[in-house]
Amino acid sequence: MGAGILFASSLSAFVSPDMIKTLGDGVNEVLGIAVATFVGFVLPGPRYVLYPVFVELYQAGVGPAILVAFISGHVLIEPSTFFVETGFLGWRFSVKRLAVSFVVTVFAGLLTIFIYRYVGWKIL
Amino acid sequence: MEDSLEKRGPLVSMQVRMGILVLLASLVLICISPAGVAAKLRENAGVNLQVLLYTVIAVVISTAVHFLVPEDFAQKHLTKNKLRYLLYATVFGIMTPGPVYAMYPIVFSLKKKGIRNHILVSYITGQTMIGPARISLEVGLLGFNFFMWRVFLSLVMGTLAGFLYYVISRSERDDLQEISTR
Repeated sequence: MGAGILFASSLSAFVSPDMIKTLGDGVNEVLGIAVATFVGFVLPGPRYVLYPVFVELYQAGVGPAILVAFISGHVLIEPSTFFVETGFLGWRFSVKRLAVSFVVTVFAGLLTIFIYRYVGWKIL
Repeated sequence: MEDSLEKRGPLVSMQVRMGILVLLASLVLICISPAGVAAKLRENAGVNLQVLLYTVIAVVISTAVHFLVPEDFAQKHLTKNKLRYLLYATVFGIMTPGPVYAMYPIVFSLKKKGIRNHILVSYITGQTMIGPARISLEVGLLGFNFFMWRVFLSLVMGTLAGFLYYVISRSERDDLQEISTR
């Protein structure tokens, strides 16, 4: 676990919030959800630290669906978690869960678009 | 159950190998940017300590699970191929406190109890989606509505994730059929 924390902190030194902000710049929302899910997966770091970044993204105009995809993608699987999970449950389990997580996260983003835009529930 | 116990040895050695691999990767990153990594480590020191504290709590929970969940409970309820157990596992996951690293001893303990992988996927999804420790952060920074929506989503996503895992795991599905015919 100590190795995981060290790895997450080391990698977060190379991934800046500015890199993530580009997600919201003129990208189709559905594609944005897929990209946000992927970025969430590869973005390392303690999730507590990322919440201020999420707020910053929202203030920068990023929609709730992309935020949901980003948060969900990040919390479901991130690099150090993937390695820890592999250690406990094996490669096959982790790879299958990664694939499943990608599908359900994109689904969650699309559901959020539906609720926000068509049902009218202002979740943010 | 015997299978899972036999696999314990290789799993432990794999943990050691993965730990070494992650440490080596970290060392490479530190060599590339020692100042940047040092700054991030200082910046995240409090959170990392918090993670360690939650890990201790989670180990206590995993020990409690080991003693409180009887062998036949897992066989009677959680190895049956019923969709509602995916929802139960998701709810159980949502209620489990602690960081994601600390959850894996619990998951490993449940696996040793005979709980199937698709149920574990629902549990992991529920646990990672909503953590009790993150409620204050999420409600405080993003609002109550957003948090409630995420709670609802976590129930849907946990159940769906377990179901999808079940669908793509052909060999595991065969195992389940074998169990249900006994």
